[in-house]
Amino acid sequence: MLLEYLPLVLVLAVSLIFGIVATNASWLFGPRRPDPEKLSTYESGMTPVRTARQRFSVRFYMVAMLFIVFDIEVVFMYPWAVRFKDLGWFGFWEMLVFVGILMVGYGYIVKKGALEWD
Amino acid sequence: MELTDIIFYIFALVTIGSAMIVVFSRNLVYSAFSLMFTFLGVAGLYVLLLADFLAVTQLMIYVGGILVLMIFGVMLTHRVVNVEISSGAMRVIPATIVVGVFLGTLLLVLTRTKWMVMEGSPDVIGTTSMIGTALVTDYLLPFEVSGVVLLVAIVAAAFMARKR
Amino acid sequence: MNEIIQSSLSLLWPELTLTVTFILTLFSQFALRKAPMHSGYVALAGFLLAFLLLGTQGGSDASVFGVMLAVDPFAVFFKYLIIISGILVLGFSLQSEEIRNNAEHAGEYFAFLTSMTLGMFLMAGASNLLMMYLSIELVSLSSYVLSGYLRNVERSNEAALKYVIFGAVSSGLMLYGISLIYGLTGALDIYSMRDVLATGAVMPGSWAFATLVAAVILIIGGFGYKISAVPFHYWTPDVYEGAPITITAYLSVASKAAGFAIMIRFFKVAFLNTVSADGAWEVLAGMNWELIIAVISVLTMTLGNLVALWQDNLKRMLAYSSIAHAGYMLMGLVVATDNGIAAIMVYFVMYLIMNLGAFYVVMVVAQKTGSEDIDDYRGLAYRAPWVAGAMAIFLVSLTGLPPTAGFIGKLWIFAAVLSKPGFVWLAIIGVINSVISLYYYARVFRNMYLRQGDEEKAQPILFGSRTIAGSLIFAVPTIVFGLYFGPILEWAKNSVTLFLR
Repeated sequence: MLLEYLPLVLVLAVSLIFGIVATNASWLFGPRRPDPEKLSTYESGMTPVRTARQRFSVRFYMVAMLFIVFDIEVVFMYPWAVRFKDLGWFGFWEMLVFVGILMVGYGYIVKKGALEWD
Repeated sequence: MELTDIIFYIFALVTIGSAMIVVFSRNLVYSAFSLMFTFLGVAGLYVLLLADFLAVTQLMIYVGGILVLMIFGVMLTHRVVNVEISSGAMRVIPATIVVGVFLGTLLLVLTRTKWMVMEGSPDVIGTTSMIGTALVTDYLLPFEVSGVVLLVAIVAAAFMARKR
Repeated sequence: MNEIIQSSLSLLWPELTLTVTFILTLFSQFALRKAPMHSGYVALAGFLLAFLLLGTQGGSDASVFGVMLAVDPFAVFFKYLIIISGILVLGFSLQSEEIRNNAEHAGEYFAFLTSMTLGMFLMAGASNLLMMYLSIELVSLSSYVLSGYLRNVERSNEAALKYVIFGAVSSGLMLYGISLIYGLTGALDIYSMRDVLATGAVMPGSWAFATLVAAVILIIGGFGYKISAVPFHYWTPDVYEGAPITITAYLSVASKAAGFAIMIRFFKVAFLNTVSADGAWEVLAGMNWELIIAVISVLTMTLGNLVALWQDNLKRMLAYSSIAHAGYMLMGLVVATDNGIAAIMVYFVMYLIMNLGAFYVVMVVAQKTGSEDIDDYRGLAYRAPWVAGAMAIFLVSLTGLPPTAGFIGKLWIFAAVLSKPGFVWLAIIGVINSVISLYYYARVFRNMYLRQGDEEKAQPILFGSRTIAGSLIFAVPTIVFGLYFGPILEWAKNSVTLFLR
């Protein structure tokens, strides 16, 4: 029964091996001619400005917290969706109540402007 | 030793080892990242217990959400690296005794107890559909109440992060 | 399934009302931008409606949604206590300057007050470990935010943070206990749990029994946190001191009532064999949990009283005194009879009136003098005779002296304890504690009546007629119920019925 997880294990193993090989291959085979430009922090081709270790705005935290709440909502919806046909309209209305309660919260944060970045 | 045993010990090792790094690391960022492996290890243990839905939930919510939140939390503070943990190790001896007694009791109790064994093994296809049915039938009230709890949590989050 | 839902919902009108009230109050702030305090009236309307609708639950002895939530006389009694104190605290809040000065978030404030009340309603009836946990979380979540409501007061922020940390630890303990119980019995609802225990699956002397004891202690961690029983009380003084005083009053009464309701239900149902004709509980063989509760009770009242002796801040002193009162009330549970439970219920009615009254006086005095220190109460009797008189009545009642409500509450508790053989020592400790408590209550009394304030603090404090009327609302019943308590006793005795399946 755990054999069903074999594909998952394979994907994990392949990605792990690929990651290790790819990062070390360049170290093994590539020529090493360092210059200040190359040694500087890689920032998508831009010249790095300031240190990366700066304080974040509290708004990121806000968004992350809201993300978790709606993440949990989706987790609740998933098993219901698996049995959607068997549970029928009855389950549909119950889920609608649940989603409705959370939409109230969404309406609140939109109205409150908590997601505006000003 | 069977293959599942070996897998179990691998996951257990990952869980406990990374949890120890979480506790003992002086650097909050290391602790936070190490926590990811703790969560992953626990998810693996859930899979071994045939609780596949729980494992996915663990990954989605803990690794995907709460851990990110924690790392944000670290980054919100002034100095990101080498944050002085002001409440260092205090009262080591009493704490060790209390924790040791607690751990010893629990270990004894857990290993010696004859647990209730449910008839029949869980559906091999997965627990997801069983959970789906239970949510909208037997556990309808807790399900909707948890909706209310989440609603309060949303409002509370928006409220706490409000502008001064 | 449809019929189950319909019949279940028809018994949950008050809870549904509170849910809708929460949403309406929350959104009312967008319509009431100019007068945010008016959100309080939306909540008040909802509370009053819920109070009236509680009548629809009267006389029912059932459990809804399977056996998730019991709707029985016991739950209804506690719901009445909760909603009455909720209405009174809403009244406080509308008068409170702390809240007025932060009125821009009053919508959220009143909404959280509503969700907290909803959670406590669910706690009063929860008969499934999952529902117990969820309802406790709902209450905790709301009270964390409320105790940190005063954003620019450092104490308030500290209170919220401490509350969250201690709360997280106790919910963790409780969840762990629940998981152990599930592993032992395979049951989440307390009725099936009892049925499994009754089959002798967990024999005393076995390791499984040790696990059960560990699990019960861990679950007490969750309940004890709500009623602030030692050793789960650490958050209480700081939170009570830092939170807005309206919230402190609410936490000390309603939250504690809900905690007692859930604890009594758990212990009575999960380990009960039968109830004998005189109301004594016959516990399942070997499942004697009384001693655990007795130890917690002694620790709680002794520590609460002893530490209260050293407090200079009246709010903090009342916090420790409320810990001590939880200890007295736990004595009623130790007895494990319906009489003991009735005594707790009587005590709670009295405690609600006198404690809310005391906090009300602290609030109005702090609004005039800007201080909650006991020393600043010197000469209050001459500066504000009405309010000081009311406070004196509350203090006498909190000590438990006749002819006040507090005396009647204590009387029934001690009578119940003495009726149980082998627990005389508990009653003696209770009496010693009452004597200790006299000292710190008398200190406030002495400051008010026998001492003069400083020169510049000698002017009379003028309270409006509303404030004086407000303190009389509590002071008069404190005396009246001390002399005429028949109906309350009757009500409590008729409400000890728990749904037992």
